[in-house]
Amino acid sequence: MNVALSRRGVWLLRSFFAVVVIFLYAPIALLVVFSFNNSQLPSFPLSGFTLHWYHQFLVNADLRSALGTSALVAAISSVGAVLLGVLASIALVRRRFRLKSPVSALLLSPLVIPYVVFGISLLLFFHAAGIPRSVLTVVIGHIVISLPYTILVLMPRLQQIDVSLEEAAYDLGASRLRAFRSVTLPLLLPAVVSAYLIAFTTSFDEYAVASFVVGTRSTFPIFLYSALRFPNQLPQVIAVAVVVISVSLVVVIGAEVGRRVAERRLG
Amino acid sequence: MGRGQGVLTVSEAQARRRRLRPDFTTPGLLGLPLAWLAVFFLVPIAIVGLYSVGRLTLDPGPHTVTLAAWREFLHSPIYLKLFWKSVKMSLVVSVIVVALAYPLAYYLALSGTKRKYVLLLLLIAPFLTSYLLRVLAWKVILGNQGVINSFLFWTGLRSPDHPISQLLYSRFAVMLVLGYIWLPFVALPIFVTLESLDRRLFEAATDLGATRWQTFRRVTLPLSLPGVFAAFLFVFIPTLGEFVTPSLVGGASGYMYGNQIVDLFGTGFPDWQTGSVLALFLLGVVAVLTIVFSRFLQTREVTAG
Repeated sequence: MNVALSRRGVWLLRSFFAVVVIFLYAPIALLVVFSFNNSQLPSFPLSGFTLHWYHQFLVNADLRSALGTSALVAAISSVGAVLLGVLASIALVRRRFRLKSPVSALLLSPLVIPYVVFGISLLLFFHAAGIPRSVLTVVIGHIVISLPYTILVLMPRLQQIDVSLEEAAYDLGASRLRAFRSVTLPLLLPAVVSAYLIAFTTSFDEYAVASFVVGTRSTFPIFLYSALRFPNQLPQVIAVAVVVISVSLVVVIGAEVGRRVAERRLG
Repeated sequence: MGRGQGVLTVSEAQARRRRLRPDFTTPGLLGLPLAWLAVFFLVPIAIVGLYSVGRLTLDPGPHTVTLAAWREFLHSPIYLKLFWKSVKMSLVVSVIVVALAYPLAYYLALSGTKRKYVLLLLLIAPFLTSYLLRVLAWKVILGNQGVINSFLFWTGLRSPDHPISQLLYSRFAVMLVLGYIWLPFVALPIFVTLESLDRRLFEAATDLGATRWQTFRRVTLPLSLPGVFAAFLFVFIPTLGEFVTPSLVGGASGYMYGNQIVDLFGTGFPDWQTGSVLALFLLGVVAVLTIVFSRFLQTREVTAG
């Protein structure tokens, strides 16, 4: 017998769960429908099937360049964030030192700072330092934002990895670096990959901070935001939305499933 | 070196290694991450502080330190009223979203369903897709020519001359979209807390004659409060400083404190000093909330454990 829920309770909660899932996915499903709708306005009644909007965004040079810029920013900033995250996680999990709790609070604090505040802080900082806004300044900001996410993914995995494996490597004469490379890193790899993907998607989607420090080359969210203000671009933007949402759903679900499988195999 | 070479006993060598480990490697590991945050996170916030007291300014000229902007802010009815409005909006959104997420998490954690991780992923996946595109979806749905209104015209339930115009560009739209965006994510901390509860407590309660409802009220709910508070904080903090959603679906009535900060740094009438004061005030409120709640959470965990 389930002591937490009656059979009726299970049924009620399951129905509620289904309603919420429908509420969450219905807007996305509507975007899919209207991306194929042959009308300038996304409204009922539907007026026929078209691939016109998909074709239009494929030939839109601004859009493609924005996607490219975002991919570049995300690729670089996530490497940076994962690198810093691995270093910080090892220190937090494997080492004893004074001031550990303030240090970990500082490392995680970008999670709670309002992005509008961090955005203007970076804006004023780059202004005061005389650094012109560019792709690089966006990368710098995104590394700060993504760092705590990578730490939150890496730390639990590192805690699971038995320290005695590393100690065995030292006893067999391995240096610290060697032990990390040959023992810890392979076991940590699934978490490193999911940390990378989380940092990548965080950066790829980030608008608030980027809006303050972006230069003349727009990232994809910056492009989207300005396109949302022009109704004639709306149908193409919906088509892009469908593609981006589908790709990110596949990546996210694939990454999660892959990580579970890999970690089960590694033990 | 030199002294005592080759005569280290095993225990001495171990002691030395133990000494070397924290002394040498910890700064090596933490140096880069902490330096990055110091330069690109803490220093920028300090610079906002300098702007807020007029030590740095947008225009070149005499720089005198003054608290005038702070004084003005604390006595201005406009900014504080706007802040209070934003607090109320995020409070309503956070409470509703947590209340909706709790039964979802409860179902996943305690109904005994075998596919709980699949269902959890199904729930959270929308949160991991583009934020702006989910806002876009609601813009398409709520507009005067949007999905809901055009559906009503089409079916004849409403005349095209009188669309329901308060759907978009309103406080309601901002709160609906923010709730939609945060709902999937909020179930996660509650799920984790419920999942880690000791099931024997429920059995003990049942054995002592408690009904399911009593067990929930006296055992499950109190023990899951840390997760509930964490979930609340996870929505409340980001929505309080929100400016993207209100600027896209809020119109004038959905204008929030975050929009005011952005506008003070915008191209219209920039006032970086006042803007810095507003930003630091928001940061201060968030910092206090985080510290108060995190202490509260820790003590809850101690007493619950």
